[in-house]
Amino acid sequence: MTDIAYAKLLPEGIPSWHQPYWDSLKAHSVKVQKCSSCGALRYVPKEICNKCLSTAYSWAPIRPTGEVYTYTIVRRAPTAAYQAEAPYALVHVAMDDGFRMIAAMKNADPESVRIGQRVKVAYEDVTPQWTLLQFEPA
Amino acid sequence: MPRVVREVAVAGVYQTKQGDLSDRMQAEVWFECAKGACEDAGISLRDVDGVVYDGPQGAGIRDKLPGAALGYDLLGKPLRYHASSSIGAAMTSAGLNLAVHAVSTGLAEVVIIVNALAGKPEGSGNVDRDKAIAAMAMNSGPYEYVYGTTRVSDYAVLANRHMHDFGTTSAQLAEIAVAQRHGATLHPLSVNGHRGELTIGDVINSRMIADPLHLLDCCAINQGGGAIVVTSADAVRATRRHKPIGLLGYGEGHSHIDPNSSPSLSVFPAAELAANTAFELSGVSRDEIDVAGFADHFTINVLFGIESAGFCKVGEGGSFVEKGALKIGGRLPTNTSGGFLSFSHARMCGLFTLIEVVEQLRGNAGARQVADAKYGYVNGVGGAMQNNFSAILGEV
Repeated sequence: MTDIAYAKLLPEGIPSWHQPYWDSLKAHSVKVQKCSSCGALRYVPKEICNKCLSTAYSWAPIRPTGEVYTYTIVRRAPTAAYQAEAPYALVHVAMDDGFRMIAAMKNADPESVRIGQRVKVAYEDVTPQWTLLQFEPA
Repeated sequence: MPRVVREVAVAGVYQTKQGDLSDRMQAEVWFECAKGACEDAGISLRDVDGVVYDGPQGAGIRDKLPGAALGYDLLGKPLRYHASSSIGAAMTSAGLNLAVHAVSTGLAEVVIIVNALAGKPEGSGNVDRDKAIAAMAMNSGPYEYVYGTTRVSDYAVLANRHMHDFGTTSAQLAEIAVAQRHGATLHPLSVNGHRGELTIGDVINSRMIADPLHLLDCCAINQGGGAIVVTSADAVRATRRHKPIGLLGYGEGHSHIDPNSSPSLSVFPAAELAANTAFELSGVSRDEIDVAGFADHFTINVLFGIESAGFCKVGEGGSFVEKGALKIGGRLPTNTSGGFLSFSHARMCGLFTLIEVVEQLRGNAGARQVADAKYGYVNGVGGAMQNNFSAILGEV
């Protein structure tokens, strides 16, 4: 499968054990790791729970909502394909389930983004192989 | 086992003119810096028997085994020591700790650290600005770069949260760029000194790159080189060339790779840990520090550096830097050569931060000299506040 029409950056070097996360995005129903010992959710994928040091986990659905912890508006983008969409907002979101996630803010004027703003997960099918997690106003 | 047997001091330093060295070979600049630092020390490059960080760039396994390359191939004898630090662009300045350890324990007599960026490399050192920015953007990793992050945006999110939590303003951040540019205008080797003084208005009216960071909140993108050579303090004293400046205290703090793991993006306990360790080991107090060198990839770094070192309370960095406090003659003269913002951001540029503090403590800083500078503080940061070192320097 070539992704010739998509000029922005795709994930590279993703270990195979991360695949359930990317599969969950493709299914438009995000899952993250849940520690089998203490129940803590964690993202991005990590080999061990930093709270109880258990290596056992499952992939669990989450509440797809949270609030903006911090953000920026990118005006000088890394490549031409991103520059074509600038300015765009990047958000770090404190999820309602107690961990943070990073993505772009879609379906909103970037100038309107604020810390504390309520947001929800959105999905962007960028190629037949890859779906990206995004956020939009809740 | 290695144990401390003697005091160690900086013997010599050297810096090239910072700017565009794309018409020169990296290895040529590397040796210019190495020989220049040795000349400043009054020794020969042949006396070097240890190296920290990279050797001159070469092909194949040579880049992975810099100690071996500097053995028979380049210096005509076996080398006694090589080590490398992992603290990002500060691996050269944090490397001072490794060099000091090697000499103090007798693992080596003369250890050199060289930073050189020249020629037409691929990646972040590319002289093509667009390609350099694109390469640096990939540093955030695939869970972030797919969204179009840049090195500037990686820090902009931290700056925005600091502003939200503590009321820090763009005008306060601009004070940092203004103070450092003043130092650069007094340093003939700086990349931006020729552009002249800045005002707060110049900074906050410069093009926005990633809110709230403007173009003049960002470091330079340039090439250049520098080197530092260390040996025993007794040997430095014997040459009667320079005051023997050594490491009085040192500490590291390794925080996170994934920003989602960091408990906060405006307060960094690992940076505080590095500073606390360094101050405790040195016995020097915060108010005894006469001159500072903070990592300053962006203006906000300096606030994080000041707050995490305890020069003011967490959240009060913005008001601390107002009214020219960081200028030469101010409350805490900082990055008096111009720092990454205005002196140089070439490759592992932490070395330039360190060299400026050494020059100040030797009393060799010329028009930039801070009066009676006795103790210096240096920090370095890898990534976006991902790891840190702190060092206290003074005469040994």
